[in-house]
Amino acid sequence: MHGRIKVRTSEEEKAKKEKERQEKLKFFKHAMQKIQSKRKEGEEDDEQLGIIEKVLLANPDIYTLWNIRRDILSNFKKIKSEEEMVKLYDSELTLTEYCLKVNPKSYCAWHQREWVLVNRSDPNWKKELDLCNTYLKIDERNFHTWDYRRFVVGQCKPPLQDEFDYTTEKLYDNFSNYSAWHYRSKMLVELYPDLEGGRPIQDSHHKHELKMVQSAAFTDPDDTSAWFYQRWLLGAVKEYLNNNIQLYINDECVNGEWESCTGYEYDDLWILKHSHKILTKSHIKVEYIMNNNGKQSIVCNEYQPLVYIGKSEISFQNQYSKPVVEELNDQLDSCRQLLALEPDNRWTLLTTTVFLHCIDPKLHHLEVIDNLQRLKKLDYQRAGYYNDLISMWSIEQQLQNDYNENIDKFHIRFGEKLTSLPHLQYYSFCQTVDLSNQELTSRILPTLIKLQHCKILDLSNNKLTSLDGFPALQLEQLILKGNEIKEEDIASFKEKHCVTKIII
Amino acid sequence: MDDDLPTDFQVIVVGTGMVESIVAAACSRIGKNVLHLDSSDHYGGLWASYNFEGLQKFIKEINSDPNRQLQVYNLIEKWYIDKDSPQEETKQETEEEKTEPPKKIWSQADFASEYRKFNIDMTPKLLFSRGPLVELLISSNIARYAEFRCVTRVLTWLNDKLNPVPCSRADVFATEAVSIVEKRMLMKMLTSIVGYNEEEMDNEFKDWTDKSFKDYLTHKGLTPNLIHYVLYAIAGGSDAMPCLEGVRECKKFLMSLGRYGNTPFLWPMYGSGELPQGFCRLCAVFGGVYCLNRPIDSVETKTGDEGKEIVVIGSKSKNLNCDHLVIGINECPKDLLSSEPSESSDISKAIFITNGTIMPSEKEPLTLLRFPPLDEGDNPVTVLEVGPATGSCPKGLFAVYFITNKVKDAESDLMKYAEKIFDMTGDQTKAGDKPTCLWSLFYNVKDVSAGVRDGVETVHVCAGPDAGLDFDRAVIQSEQIFKKICPGEEFLPRAPDPEDIVFEDDVTHGPEFRGDEGDKE
Repeated sequence: MHGRIKVRTSEEEKAKKEKERQEKLKFFKHAMQKIQSKRKEGEEDDEQLGIIEKVLLANPDIYTLWNIRRDILSNFKKIKSEEEMVKLYDSELTLTEYCLKVNPKSYCAWHQREWVLVNRSDPNWKKELDLCNTYLKIDERNFHTWDYRRFVVGQCKPPLQDEFDYTTEKLYDNFSNYSAWHYRSKMLVELYPDLEGGRPIQDSHHKHELKMVQSAAFTDPDDTSAWFYQRWLLGAVKEYLNNNIQLYINDECVNGEWESCTGYEYDDLWILKHSHKILTKSHIKVEYIMNNNGKQSIVCNEYQPLVYIGKSEISFQNQYSKPVVEELNDQLDSCRQLLALEPDNRWTLLTTTVFLHCIDPKLHHLEVIDNLQRLKKLDYQRAGYYNDLISMWSIEQQLQNDYNENIDKFHIRFGEKLTSLPHLQYYSFCQTVDLSNQELTSRILPTLIKLQHCKILDLSNNKLTSLDGFPALQLEQLILKGNEIKEEDIASFKEKHCVTKIII
Repeated sequence: MDDDLPTDFQVIVVGTGMVESIVAAACSRIGKNVLHLDSSDHYGGLWASYNFEGLQKFIKEINSDPNRQLQVYNLIEKWYIDKDSPQEETKQETEEEKTEPPKKIWSQADFASEYRKFNIDMTPKLLFSRGPLVELLISSNIARYAEFRCVTRVLTWLNDKLNPVPCSRADVFATEAVSIVEKRMLMKMLTSIVGYNEEEMDNEFKDWTDKSFKDYLTHKGLTPNLIHYVLYAIAGGSDAMPCLEGVRECKKFLMSLGRYGNTPFLWPMYGSGELPQGFCRLCAVFGGVYCLNRPIDSVETKTGDEGKEIVVIGSKSKNLNCDHLVIGINECPKDLLSSEPSESSDISKAIFITNGTIMPSEKEPLTLLRFPPLDEGDNPVTVLEVGPATGSCPKGLFAVYFITNKVKDAESDLMKYAEKIFDMTGDQTKAGDKPTCLWSLFYNVKDVSAGVRDGVETVHVCAGPDAGLDFDRAVIQSEQIFKKICPGEEFLPRAPDPEDIVFEDDVTHGPEFRGDEGDKE
């Protein structure tokens, strides 16, 4: 009968597939050999470009071949006319587009495209932006495309508002998108910077963003992308200094090299090596340039003979405007309602806790600590993180008091056990530091470098297991009782450090 | 011409409705010799889509001879607009408002002149993106004969107005209609339903088997708005819906999200009538013989040689023999059906042609609207609104389908719902927020399922259209019939792609293609 169809059996099908595979392999081997031999002979010509193109179309991720192409094109540039080069560059763009269809996450193909556009005269950026749109429509989370988009936008500078709106559109399609949230944060900082400093963005937009991210977080708390963005929104811009600091003794500028004790470019503890002799009753002043180019000046008072200390204001409270605080309070209410329904939802509990801390850390301190203790049980895999938060926020509370008193001893005055040592730079002038009966592990030892003036350091009854990473300090007495440090560790520590007295 | 028709077949299928067509395709696909007949001149039977002229013919047929089509009754057609457009007036208006071209004023004559741009469904249905029909279309490779569009939104009637239903994660995130706490509650409920596993004995819903879904949602502390969304819009239920049925319906809805678009549904381009035709086409590709306009006069069974039962069909003074007869219920002779009282639940349907969408949106919408019952004793009403992009109607118009389980008759069951969302005055010049209804058709459809007379094993009766939103029942029934005819055979295995087909006989091959990549060494 006419038109009755017969289909290949699965055996035939398999044989056919195998044959196709073998042919592909043969072609690939042959082509790679040819490319290598031509490369060896220095034959950089159109034929070489042609063979490479065929291989790349099948497998766009052989970066060696892209390197060869760039080599050839760079050499062509020396001998060919501008017009010819434009043609070559354009066909290169077509090739990368095909390759990106094969693999939209090909590092080499995206990179090649970027390279071509930097080299080609008069590139069509609009077209590139459209290409990004197309690829982000196919996969809105392809970070290669977002990365490329930032490059294109950096070149053609479209209205930032458009880019911002684009992130809104993408997030409404699917808010589980780290790249889009991140790009959004970058646009916000550009579009609506906080001119007073200290906060990420202007208040009016801050409120809107908080609402949007809360909506995402409540829709799917298990999606962490929104959390990260929320933490960024709630965060403050922390001031670090680089070495543009000036010291004046009796109004005379002291020259010398400022050194970060940890060796970073930006740090919160700097040391000046100088040859000036410091006398009593000197007038000592420090000036430094802040991140927003403002100049800060601090007068140091003589605190002990030949020891001068100057203090600027400290505040760990984020400064939010009234409307933002109102929004935070609203959201806190929502969280509390939800907690009443789902008391064991760790995400809601953490957000509640963060809100409480942001709104008024002092007023809510006890509740905050209590919540974190509960979180340690609910979310035991992150117990370490919660412990560190407890340490930080407890120390911040104590610091508010310590800082304004003229103490030269630092000891912990709260019941929670420390697991980390944040803000230690504020105690850098203390001669006696009592960190006994905490839960410090050997991991924290390097941070002790901030205790530059410490003479007596009490680390007894902690969880130290070794002394690796102990910084070079001029200690007179080190108390290590009640830890589980091995004998030989202490012996080798003694060889390296000159501590007058070690109490074990 | 009739003499050309062979007389002996393994399977004869009478009627080209959905179930009949799927069975025909499935039998032909595994090599059965199939004859497929239909008494009318088009495919689909009550599952067909008509252009406006075809629809007029259908209406005329039923009204002139109500006995001819026993399944459709209470048919009422209404025009709300003039026969001809008042030409002068419109011209003047155009001159006055050159900046804003006025909305077209439609007349009956315009419908007639654009009749070919209509594809009106007698059985409008949606496909769940992960429902059995989509899976079947994919696995059998019949999907290539059809095109689909995604439903763009799900609406409901809440607080006396239309409301979009946040049903996907993206919707819940974007909506401003529910508070943040409600978002969490809604997502939690939906996630818990998705996790429901009937086999698991100790599941969340085990204590709710004898209670209503509404009670469950209330117990879980959902706000009235959320209960409305979940119960009426997502589960498509009513207050009395049993809990487990509600959970099952919701789960089906949710599992179909995110496959093709932002809603769980697909709409067949050019109408649902395309789908039975797709199956018929596959049947024909595998050798099925087609004959439309071929009514049958009698069906008899007799015992042939070797004691095999043979079905003999009399048609146009010719006897057609087969091992199995598959027949649509409306084509089936009464004496063949079981005398036991058949189950019957009738459907009320209505079709409206309007001059705009019920809720304007940026791009042309394709809408599923679920009305909760407005009055006690009513059933929930399903509304489907499709526009020109689906090939259902000319530019500027929308076709809107209403479906509910019958209480009284189609018009009294559905008119009050239509009045909520349409302007029924026929005034096309008013700039109200409701679209104007230009034309309507109300009708009831009998949904009868009946068995065959005792002792007849080789005749299989197919049910007509049901009130369900998807084609589930048709797919399940056709698979059951196929299993009876061809026990142990695979139901619609994947049809080969054209490039995998080998032509056995006298195909002359062109010259062999030679690549330039020869080994030179």
